[in-house]
Amino acid sequence: MARDRAQDNDYFGQLRKLLLAVLVLCLLAIFLVWRIDSPRVERFRAQVIDTVVPNFDWAMAPVTGAVNILRDFQSYQRIYQQNQELRRELQQMKSWREAALQLEQENARLLDLNNVQLDPRLTYVTGVVLADSGSPFRQSVLINVGARDGIVDGWATMDGLGLVGRISGVGENSARVVLLTDSSSGIPVTVQPSGHQALVAGDNSGSPLLTFLEDDDGVRPGDRVMTSGDGGVFPAGLLVGRVTQDPGGRLRVRLSADYERLEFLRVLRNWAQERIEDPGSLVEPDTPATEELSESADPLEEDEIGPEPADG
Amino acid sequence: MAERSATFLWSMRFLYLVLCGLVMFIHLLPLEPVTTFWAAPDLMIALTFAWVLRRPEYAPLVFITGAFLLADFLFHRPPGLWAALVLIGSQTLRAKAPDLRDLTFPMEWLSVATTLIAITIGYRMVLLILVIDAPPLSLSLIQVLTTLAAYPLVVLASQTVLRVRKIAPGEVDAMRTS
Repeated sequence: MARDRAQDNDYFGQLRKLLLAVLVLCLLAIFLVWRIDSPRVERFRAQVIDTVVPNFDWAMAPVTGAVNILRDFQSYQRIYQQNQELRRELQQMKSWREAALQLEQENARLLDLNNVQLDPRLTYVTGVVLADSGSPFRQSVLINVGARDGIVDGWATMDGLGLVGRISGVGENSARVVLLTDSSSGIPVTVQPSGHQALVAGDNSGSPLLTFLEDDDGVRPGDRVMTSGDGGVFPAGLLVGRVTQDPGGRLRVRLSADYERLEFLRVLRNWAQERIEDPGSLVEPDTPATEELSESADPLEEDEIGPEPADG
Repeated sequence: MAERSATFLWSMRFLYLVLCGLVMFIHLLPLEPVTTFWAAPDLMIALTFAWVLRRPEYAPLVFITGAFLLADFLFHRPPGLWAALVLIGSQTLRAKAPDLRDLTFPMEWLSVATTLIAITIGYRMVLLILVIDAPPLSLSLIQVLTTLAAYPLVVLASQTVLRVRKIAPGEVDAMRTS
């Protein structure tokens, strides 16, 4: 009986070792495929998330709601203080509102003066945040709009106030937004009013670093940081935040978007911008084409082309 | 009787999957402020190690693989690597389980700690070798520490609420004959 069981165990033990080896090899194969051919596996990942996370949605909404109610309940304890704070802020806001109204009128007058047309193609799709990345190592959120709604990789995402991140990974019904704070995020920006170009690079902390600044002198804490539109990644002129200085003396960006409360996100439709790549025929004539022309064309046509520069 | 124990076994296996799913679900809830300076404990690992050391038949290889591969995909980790390391780590612990059975809990905790630290170092080494940007070292360290701190609680909950206990001497024969 005992010997029997020992043999039994031995047999199953061997089988289990084989299974373990096969499973580990499979997993490592998946990992290597991901390393070699990342986009394909990332697309697969987007599909997996697309099928799994919306299934959780019915449970996520009430649980999130309940926890938020609890948190709000905690905040009732200091309701008087909050009320005072809010009154003070309201006072400040009123004066700001007055200033804003005046500026708006001025802006309208100036726009009218210039006959400026803002880009009509810069419309947006609004999505709700479904889930965060689930790990403290990755700063990203999942929103409930995807390829079905025409979302395309690389589009900019904002909340009502400022830039939040960019789309990276689109499923049928969901899309992943890599936040500006993620360590793999870097976007070209302009610092106003000095006009310096820089790069906002996330480092997993709340306020990303301002790097690749030509010279630090012109930039002061409090300056506004806008996207510059360089590289064709984002449209220009989206508000990112304000410059701050950390205790180490490095310049960082305090983001305008409310990262503590990401709920509704706007994805800006940004169809491929036109790019000027060649110098153009006015600046530098297309030499091979003219050679071809002179070879194939008869002398009469050459005569016609010849005198033209003399006219101009 | 045998039929009942078989259904019980499978229900415990599915309970393992359900618990793993629950942990992933909680991680995915959009509650936490996005930037955190500490890492929550990896309860899936604590649960897996605790169960493998107590009743390995409740956490079969295929289920562990499935749960951790899904977690890799959902949490935007390099897919497969962490799952493979957890699988190897859990089976190492499983091989050690007969020796640990007679020892006290601190010894078990120690061996779980060494395994966890070993697979974390292995994970970071592989990422380093293949030039994939690894998570910040401080966060990894904090996660290892919080996971180890949470391990006794997971064990306590498994033993008292879910009744996943080490097999007492003599119980094996009772299960065989039943």
